[in-house]
Amino acid sequence: MKKGDNLINKVKEKITIHEIYRQPEDQITITVDRNDLPETVRILYYDLGGWLSSMIPNDEREINGNFALYYVLSMEGGKMTPEDELPQDEKCWITVKTFIPANDPTFPSVTLKVPAAVWYEREAYDMFGLTAIGLPDPRRLVVSDDWPEGLFPLRKDAMDYRHRPDPVDHKDEPEAKFLKPEGAGVLDVPLGPLHITSDEPGHFRLYCDGDTIIDADYRLFYQHRGMEKLAENRMNYDQMGYLAERVCGICGYAHAIGCIEAAEKAIGLEIPLRAQAMRVICLEIERLHSHLLNIGLACEVTGNVNAFMHIFRIREFSMELAQLVTGGRKTYGNVVMGGLRRDMTGTEIKKSLELLEIIEVQTKEVWDAVMDDKNQVERWKGVGLLDKQVARDFSPVGPNIRGCGFKRDSRYDHPYDFLTQLDFEIPTEDGCDVFARETVRYRELLESVSIIRQCFEMMPGGLTVIKPQTMIKPGAYAIGNDEAPRGENIHWIMHGNAQKVFRWRCRAATYNNWTSLRYQFRGNTIADAALIVCSLDPCYSCTERVTVVDIKSKKTKILNYQDLKRYSQSSKNHPLKNM
Amino acid sequence: MKLLDMTKKYGKATYKYPLEPYEVSEGFRGKPSYTYENCIGCTACGVACPSNAINVKLNEDKTKLVWEFDAARCIFCGRCDEVCPTGAIVLSQEFELAVKFDKNNLKERGELDVEYCEVCNKPFTTKRLISYIFHRLEKVGWDKKTLGEKIKYAKTCPTCKREEKTEVMTKYLKRGTK
Repeated sequence: MKKGDNLINKVKEKITIHEIYRQPEDQITITVDRNDLPETVRILYYDLGGWLSSMIPNDEREINGNFALYYVLSMEGGKMTPEDELPQDEKCWITVKTFIPANDPTFPSVTLKVPAAVWYEREAYDMFGLTAIGLPDPRRLVVSDDWPEGLFPLRKDAMDYRHRPDPVDHKDEPEAKFLKPEGAGVLDVPLGPLHITSDEPGHFRLYCDGDTIIDADYRLFYQHRGMEKLAENRMNYDQMGYLAERVCGICGYAHAIGCIEAAEKAIGLEIPLRAQAMRVICLEIERLHSHLLNIGLACEVTGNVNAFMHIFRIREFSMELAQLVTGGRKTYGNVVMGGLRRDMTGTEIKKSLELLEIIEVQTKEVWDAVMDDKNQVERWKGVGLLDKQVARDFSPVGPNIRGCGFKRDSRYDHPYDFLTQLDFEIPTEDGCDVFARETVRYRELLESVSIIRQCFEMMPGGLTVIKPQTMIKPGAYAIGNDEAPRGENIHWIMHGNAQKVFRWRCRAATYNNWTSLRYQFRGNTIADAALIVCSLDPCYSCTERVTVVDIKSKKTKILNYQDLKRYSQSSKNHPLKNM
Repeated sequence: MKLLDMTKKYGKATYKYPLEPYEVSEGFRGKPSYTYENCIGCTACGVACPSNAINVKLNEDKTKLVWEFDAARCIFCGRCDEVCPTGAIVLSQEFELAVKFDKNNLKERGELDVEYCEVCNKPFTTKRLISYIFHRLEKVGWDKKTLGEKIKYAKTCPTCKREEKTEVMTKYLKRGTK
């Protein structure tokens, strides 16, 4: 009896499965008919306790003449109650695969049964032209509004990638519609599209009744860089890791590990324990500085600049720690296939332990001071509530879901070999609000410090890198996962000929979190909008300017940064009072 | 109030940066420093560089091999440092890369003399690379006489070597069929 066999048997009772394929031991792919797809995903998601981790559309016409869809589900148990969780040795990945004929690129939408699939299916149309029939929200997601109709960039024969296609005439652009609630007196508040510290500009529409947000919608992907295509065309595996690092400015190292791990798993490469320990250390250092950044920003958005300054002072130590361990102030440029490039010396370990001590003591001190501040805690409590059922429906990841009481963590559910030897707990909170998320982050900080200490103690000797001896088999695929500061990153790699990538799908943590953000906005005031987005941790810090349009009287008013900031800090003198 | 007390306790957290130098740790990976004297033009760094910051190519009239490094593209991974056989390129501790007005100040350049093939007269490697190989062979104990005999072989490009070998083989095979 292998891992996941009883889950597959339960699916078999209702659905005909054409093929079962195992790449690594805990990653199972089942092929079903395209019309059975929604029901299969639903059974796995709701009945058997799966979470939708990723969905990969793939152009396999040169291999088997079809397009293919892979719905990756992380089987962990529903976790709505503490008992409702799969035993640790039965947790696995189940991928539902289906073929779509090239002459009829449509498939029945899964979103109607599992809401979490909505963004993935919108992206499948934008990139591959695969239409989900019955998809409630068929707008564009990834490609920009001036992208020509009917040109699907990730199809292998779509276009000449050395040239950018001519943008559509401004007049012919399809209108970017927003989902709007009906009713009189609804104010339409645009937020964005540029946030100064963010690499990913995003545009938010908040629909307000007076001061309260009743609904929200957003348009992202303003800077689509086409990295997946770049990797397919030019990169070999030595260069892929460095490209994957550039996905994100904060959790880049986690992306590199996820990407390289997917490639390693597909050829069954076991890396040395010392390299695994070093990888865990670097990931935890990344978590340290990312969480400190987010807690600091959550204080700054609510006007507590003093706490922000203190937390950033401590964050500096975590950067120094990264410098000691990897040689750069960020943990970049370190991962290669088969291990890690840089080893540590005894003096470096000694200095690192001293820095860890400083970080731990000072973080505790600042956090206690922040918790003593009643005004601060009041601003966080009860804001941005994410309902438990909504969280279950949309599969968010990271502190966002651990703040709702779900114990979902890649380190705990699908650990590396070395992580199983360590002793650590996954903090969860039941508040479902911003306060719960920040508390989870704080408790994770302390856990991270303890994990790094354990790693230094238990780190075995030996090599940190081995040369991969196995040739890469074309057509083999595998999932690479790890827990970035914002949540679980999933990388999916299918190998092609000549030691290159056929398809690389990178799913960053925030991608899964965005879909449920809309429900977190509802019922809060405009002043809390910035805080709610901040608590999601998408590097959001600043709103440059906001235009407010009153639909009823057709009046507009421009609020500048100062106005909005003052209002979000003091909640007095409503800037829209005299409209 | 507690936070304000903390400020007193920990004091200054900032540096007077340009006036007061920022200390980096020992293994810091900064800007790659290039020593022209050590470079043999083997192009290992150019092949290894994942971000194409290092370019090695012939100049227009094919008399020099040009080594070019662009710090603006560099991701400081240190692959070039790892693969360089002579230590011509080493990561330094330098991290200040700001230049005034001209982007070209970020670029570094080195030109090496090209060696021509004795048979077809096309450039195929650098003079330094060949002398480096001979130097190494001398060190492992080859005598000067054998090396002198081999010099013509070393100065033939791979394509010509292959053709020569094919000719010998065809002759040999023809003789065999007779």
